[in-house]
Amino acid sequence: MNISCIIVEDLQVAADYLAKCCEKSGQVKIQGHFTNVPDALQYLNENTVDLLFLDVEMPGATGFDLLDQLAYSPKVILTTSKPEYAFDAFEHNVTDFLKKPFTYQRFIDALKKVSLPLPSEKDNMITETGIDHIFIKADGKLIRLNNIDILYIESMGDYVKFVTSDKKFVTHNTLKNLEEKINKTDFMKVHRSYIINIHKISNLRENDLFISGKEIPISKAHKQDVLKRLNII
Amino acid sequence: MSNQALSNQFIFNEEIDKDYIYSLYADDFVYVEEMFTTTSQYLDPDIESIQLAYAAGNTADLKRAVHKIKPAFGFAGMLTVQTACKNFEDLCQELTSTEALCKEYKNLITILNEGKNIIETERKRLKEFNANQL
Repeated sequence: MNISCIIVEDLQVAADYLAKCCEKSGQVKIQGHFTNVPDALQYLNENTVDLLFLDVEMPGATGFDLLDQLAYSPKVILTTSKPEYAFDAFEHNVTDFLKKPFTYQRFIDALKKVSLPLPSEKDNMITETGIDHIFIKADGKLIRLNNIDILYIESMGDYVKFVTSDKKFVTHNTLKNLEEKINKTDFMKVHRSYIINIHKISNLRENDLFISGKEIPISKAHKQDVLKRLNII
Repeated sequence: MSNQALSNQFIFNEEIDKDYIYSLYADDFVYVEEMFTTTSQYLDPDIESIQLAYAAGNTADLKRAVHKIKPAFGFAGMLTVQTACKNFEDLCQELTSTEALCKEYKNLITILNEGKNIIETERKRLKEFNANQL
């Protein structure tokens, strides 16, 4: 079972059917089921998945709205009863389009199109490091992040999340890899799950530091290094 | 297993497309019962959403609510009901007021309620059938 997914679907019977198909395939692990876009988006901002089973028409917002707001690009299989969405699906680069109801065989055919393993680090990593900026690959494009804009970088398993004051970017990479590439004047690792921009620390307390209200733990192994880097008088 | 052999195991109501049911669930009648149970549980609130949207005169919400319920009948093999929903959805696109949809709306609600009753009856029959298989 190596593909993690969530189901975003407001029709319970369709969600149950999908869950059964996933279980039967033995290849897909369901991490959650959401019946609306905001709840799904909140989950996806905190967690990463390989695959989204995504309905289009849901209360409040559409599946395409969700894709437009996602900070990273998991594989997407649309589940809808309207073939008219095929063009939009193509525009959003979705992997496949299941017209509800669909057979198990059709589900398996869609699953085969989900090309795993996930994009390699070569395809989805920091591609350039400069003195004052880095480029990351996210959403299928190269995005420039100025060091000054990055608050911190958080590990999320096989992914890392770059957090700026107004955006989050998730890309396939590891903190270990980043640690070697980032500008060490601006950044330092403070915990196995965090690299922070040292210029962004607003305060520090015991074993935690705060950046824009976010509490970030400092591990014992890194605490002395953190204190040395601060301009303590 | 041929469809003839399968039909010897459980005879679906003639309004249900049994070949379609087998294409979705094969001959796993416990699974079919589960799906009919889930469908039954949610049909009442989903039909109510349609009625509320119509009463409010909101054709966009009406179309959305019919769109939502449409595949639920598909999962129960009731393809004629699914088609009726699709046709009504198309009408909502063409006609902008609920008054203009009055006749078709009443017809749709009748079809949905009849479909709901069939699903509920089949759910009970499936439950009994599966219990006797144990």
